[in-house]
Amino acid sequence: MIEVAHLTRRYGSATAVDDLSFEVAKGEVVGFLGPNGAGKTTTMRILAGYLPATRAERLLVAGHDVMRDSMAVRRAIGYLPESVPLYPELRVEEMMRFQGRLHRMSRQDLRTRIGEVLDRVGVLDRRKQLVGTLSRGLKQRVGLAVALLPDPEVLILDEPTSGLDPIQRGEVRNLIAALSSEHTVLLSSHILAEIEAMAPRVIIIHEGQKVADGSQDQIIQRLGASGSGGGAGHVLVEAAAPAEASAMAELMKSLPGVETVTLGDRVGIHHSFRVSGEGDLREDIGALAMTQGWALRELTWKRPTLEQIFTRLVIGDVAPVLSEGASSAPAPVAVPNASNAPAPVTSGLELSMPQGAKKPLPLGTPGTAQPKTIYSLNPFDRGASRDLSKPVSVDPVPPAAPKLDPLDPEGGDA
Amino acid sequence: MTGALVVARRELTGLFMAPFTWIVLLVVLLLNGLLFNSYLVRSGGNITATLNASMSEGSFWVWMVFLPALLSMRLIAEESRNGTLEYLLTAPVGDLAVVVGKFLAATLFLGLVWTSALVYAGALDYVGGSPDWPAIIGTWVGTLLVSGLFVSIGMLASTFTATPLLAAFLSMVACVLWLTLPWLALLALSNVLPYFAETGAELKALSERAETVVGSMDAIGHFQRSFQVGVIDSAEVIFFFAWTGLFLFLTARSLEARRWRG
Repeated sequence: MIEVAHLTRRYGSATAVDDLSFEVAKGEVVGFLGPNGAGKTTTMRILAGYLPATRAERLLVAGHDVMRDSMAVRRAIGYLPESVPLYPELRVEEMMRFQGRLHRMSRQDLRTRIGEVLDRVGVLDRRKQLVGTLSRGLKQRVGLAVALLPDPEVLILDEPTSGLDPIQRGEVRNLIAALSSEHTVLLSSHILAEIEAMAPRVIIIHEGQKVADGSQDQIIQRLGASGSGGGAGHVLVEAAAPAEASAMAELMKSLPGVETVTLGDRVGIHHSFRVSGEGDLREDIGALAMTQGWALRELTWKRPTLEQIFTRLVIGDVAPVLSEGASSAPAPVAVPNASNAPAPVTSGLELSMPQGAKKPLPLGTPGTAQPKTIYSLNPFDRGASRDLSKPVSVDPVPPAAPKLDPLDPEGGDA
Repeated sequence: MTGALVVARRELTGLFMAPFTWIVLLVVLLLNGLLFNSYLVRSGGNITATLNASMSEGSFWVWMVFLPALLSMRLIAEESRNGTLEYLLTAPVGDLAVVVGKFLAATLFLGLVWTSALVYAGALDYVGGSPDWPAIIGTWVGTLLVSGLFVSIGMLASTFTATPLLAAFLSMVACVLWLTLPWLALLALSNVLPYFAETGAELKALSERAETVVGSMDAIGHFQRSFQVGVIDSAEVIFFFAWTGLFLFLTARSLEARRWRG
């Protein structure tokens, strides 16, 4: 549907888009991710026929050459720039009619289609209102309606959620998710939570170049694993033990496969650790805790989020993982990194949505990649025969335990 | 062409929706009426003389410079500021269609404003005066052509900046220069030409040639020679069409250049 090969665009001596190539298949929803000034908007403007490319080997949208057959491309796409350009002095309906006339829709078509599209984006009751008096969120929807009116094959949406409040963002996101079944969508954002929620495939661009392309899982796996230390996944451990924290860390470090153990904060009687190494080390650490008699409160496998990878790609190796700095802050370890900040908003939104509107989220949704699973939380439960891979259900009758006090210096060693 | 008409239609709707337009209209009609009245008093009730005066005096040309500039300043500059230019330039219509559509809307609107003169004449005819109808209609047509020319100049100015007022100022300066160019040029030439001529006959030939060149840009001259005396001369019409077309073309090119600048 969209084919871009070796696209370059310069503004004077500054290069906004540098030899960018990618393809978007029919029916795909692709998110353009990049910091401000990465070249997202420029690329979209070129595809929409607003800006000419400085150089491009191939630029096809819906089978038409953007450079040679601009009119055909413009007829086939719905383009919504970031500024949501609408004429403030027109009424919603008039704006729609103008768009329809520009696209040479017949009067009959126009009448039915305007009602349909306005209904779809949920502004049917505002059809007589002046565009200038609409709120930002409503304007965004009207902008989307304008882009959708001619039923384009390809939708190009530049920052469709920027400037909206969290609830409006959620609404627009749902709308786009619903559209993705009928249109090929290329959208951009510098907000990761948005991209993660809307687009199964992500293209990360930085300084005009593509730095990553693939499904979120693929990107996380490939780039997350390639990074050493904090880049790959790590295990969060929170446990109480009679031993010194440093001794606990030493013990964990001695496990095969463990590369680094970072000591976190002390929360009450519990110490927190960040253990990274090869793959998921939960079972090993769990077994260690079991033999040492530590009172384990948390054992979580954390994979880097798209945001961490994004930050690493953009900043380079200066700050490989945001969580490095944050985990040493006096915050509970359960909130290990800054990337979790947008997550509460997102999940709050999901909860407030009607269930019917909720789409299964793709993997790698905001927050951590894996749900938190607590394996052993009961110091009285020492059942060695228990299947470690299954979470413990509360066991009301503790088996005969040699020592009842978890803090007893001798208790852990058997 | 359909695209241009669609754009023109939207532009006119937008114009009539904006309070600014009505204020301008009110002020123009009020001042025009007052001027007309003062001319009427001055000429002692001579209707034809009054109508003539109201279409040829300095105040008329002040309007001609002022109004097109005010109308055309928003055409592109404001869209550029609102971001709607991006919408329009990615819609399935060509740049020239956008330019022509906007031009048509502004010129039609000005035509409507100048129709007030026809209404005055009609009213005077009704109460028993005998206006010179061919001259009045000719003048109206000529006014429309001059308005079109100045709108096209204003639009070109409007593509250079995203500040409508600056665009208006640019366009007024350009129009005043355009109107006064024949005098300025001849004034300058009469001081320069003697240095290039050795004999009196040569000087005369040179001045004549200079006058032809300068005359080809003399809007007031073309206006007064034909339209104002009630003659619609195709050569004069073409004079205005050609210049207007050139400026519209330049406007479209300037828009394209903006795309390159990004």
